[in-house]
Amino acid sequence: MVTLIFPLSRIEGHAQVVIEVEAGKVVSAHFQATEYRGFQHFVQGVPAEQMPVIVPRICGVCSTAHHIAAVATLEDIYGVVPPPAASKLRELLLLGQLIQNQATSLFLFTMPDCLGLKSIFAHSEDPELEKFRTSFGSHSLMVRKAGTDLINAAGGQSIHPVKAVVGGMTSAMSSEAADAVNRQMEKALPLACGLFESYWKELLDMGNRIGSLGDDGPAYYVSAAGRDRPDFASRTVCVMNPDGTEEGGFSAAEFLSRLTHRETDYSYAGKTSYKGEVMRANSLARINMFDQMGTPIADEYLKRFRSDFGRPAQDLILYDLARGIELVYAIERASQILEEPLYEVETAVPHTVRDGEGYGLVEAPRGPLIHRYRVRKGLIEKAEFVIPTVHNVMAIERALKVAAQRYITPEKVDMELDQAVGRVVRAFDPCIACATH
Amino acid sequence: MQQFAVLQLTGCAGCEVSLLNAEEWLEQYELVYMPLVISANSIPDVDILLVSGGVRTDEDLVRLRRAAPKAKKVVAVGTCAISGGVANLGSRDEVHDLFLAEEGRRHLPRLLPECRSIAEVVPIQQTLPGCPPTPELFVRLLFPPKDLHMAKTVCQECDRKKQKTMRPRHLEGLLRGTVLPEICLINQGYLCIGTSTRGGCNAPCTRAGQPCVGCRGPSEAFIHKGPESWLNTIEKVFSKMTDVPSNEIKAALRSPQLSLFLFQLSHDPSTGGHPGQEVEVL
Repeated sequence: MVTLIFPLSRIEGHAQVVIEVEAGKVVSAHFQATEYRGFQHFVQGVPAEQMPVIVPRICGVCSTAHHIAAVATLEDIYGVVPPPAASKLRELLLLGQLIQNQATSLFLFTMPDCLGLKSIFAHSEDPELEKFRTSFGSHSLMVRKAGTDLINAAGGQSIHPVKAVVGGMTSAMSSEAADAVNRQMEKALPLACGLFESYWKELLDMGNRIGSLGDDGPAYYVSAAGRDRPDFASRTVCVMNPDGTEEGGFSAAEFLSRLTHRETDYSYAGKTSYKGEVMRANSLARINMFDQMGTPIADEYLKRFRSDFGRPAQDLILYDLARGIELVYAIERASQILEEPLYEVETAVPHTVRDGEGYGLVEAPRGPLIHRYRVRKGLIEKAEFVIPTVHNVMAIERALKVAAQRYITPEKVDMELDQAVGRVVRAFDPCIACATH
Repeated sequence: MQQFAVLQLTGCAGCEVSLLNAEEWLEQYELVYMPLVISANSIPDVDILLVSGGVRTDEDLVRLRRAAPKAKKVVAVGTCAISGGVANLGSRDEVHDLFLAEEGRRHLPRLLPECRSIAEVVPIQQTLPGCPPTPELFVRLLFPPKDLHMAKTVCQECDRKKQKTMRPRHLEGLLRGTVLPEICLINQGYLCIGTSTRGGCNAPCTRAGQPCVGCRGPSEAFIHKGPESWLNTIEKVFSKMTDVPSNEIKAALRSPQLSLFLFQLSHDPSTGGHPGQEVEVL
């Protein structure tokens, strides 16, 4: 058995793709997560109120999602409902995360593939490409910074934010801080649109050159960001059938009961299936789900996307266009909220600690994130982290196998497979630190 | 142009994201290796190597040993790289046994019996503590200012004011939810250890209403002393400023959240955790 191992880059964390070939036939294509720390083990015995500080350390890219999921889980257990002011601030936090993440994913992780570069920071010998790259790179960082600064303003720190607490937020945002961030959103919006237009063109040019990225077949789509329009305060996981009809909306507990989780002997991350079938989470799932974005420019992009690609859109390459639409939406929506009064004295309600079990559901950039804790005598007795990347592993592997079969024949292996494997994985924008935790 | 590389071992990538949030290095440094944003498979000779994360797997160990000799200067960045941090929590006895039970994995790096800090494996010249270190700290690392004036402790950088008349009886701040602006968090019944924690981060957490958990490690006054001395000093602060019973403080100081950061020197307190090495701590 010939084993081909492809290291991966321009994703979060340590992972590789392993393809096994027997007599010229692809036997398996596996997505391997190669790191591990063990959060569900070492939070056992931790005082419950310390979870919002500890669990963001699962991942420096997705820390905002874990921070909010932790307080949401404890609020579920203690029976606490945060005040509306806190919900608005938490939505801003999630939007900031979405802006930073989608800008990173599109412009730092995958744009290099479209341009044939190893990195958006790498100098090119071609003067025209170099001119484009430097301008594109610097605008990308400006748009990304708008997201970072929004997380900072709403969350206290841009990595491992601190302001969400059980019962709400430690404090609101002053009108000076809100205005300052809103001005950044105003500057970032035209930049983001310009970058997205360039990206759209380069992506489709690449698509025309290479054909499909891999498997473009149908799958279930899952998202906890609402259905008729984006709602990042939603507590429901919406599921779309492979044919585009609605399967249903479920609480975190109901959704988990419909999943089959499997550990494997070749990865430190497990994989999940929905009623035994392949599912997809992340941007393409959300875009397929939303009837509209609810903000003007993003709605224009959604209209264009739907007229070009239909609904549900299934081609893998479209994951990144979906990310671009969300990036524009997040900037527009953040501006809307920042124009509302955000300075309030009561941003949290007091609470009483009690034992019990509960769920915290948050739509992270990569899909529905669920924390589940059991608290006994004020300490964490058991914790489970259901990570959205894990919902995509079957879909990634299905696509990897298709890509592998295209480039491996009994006669030879076309090393374009090295690029192809990277493109497939990056379309899903997996997070390995989260998936393995 | 000076060249630098970033090696991420077992960690959360927070240090890498913080470095990207800094951006100022783009014009003057050439980043030649950082798999998060560059598809390069090996590290060339570089001026500076930043290492984040703990040495948790055999692959971490090999990568670190191969990379360190390529650099003129090796800097351990972030709590995990300096003292284990989150990655090190897996070395607790009950978790340790669970790890050793993870057998039979194919083509995967094996977990080492203990998570190690960078300095235990290769010589380093500098550390940059923080979880993660702020972008401004990364800029200070790459562009050392001529006169480096950094506050000694987080408490000195925080803009809250201590109140003589607010003396909480218990550490109950967290149960209230809303944090009063401008007033010291200790006065509000929070276990804030900013009085002994190394400054330089500009106290973002305490400004936002979250008590300092010590992620930058001990201040210069404590870094070569054992953890007991650090803990005793914090207890004295609380007995001076509050009416919280000392056994409540003692118990709270030994909680898991703080053990992430507090015991930076637990490997070898007398040498500051860097056996036989002259290490500059930023």
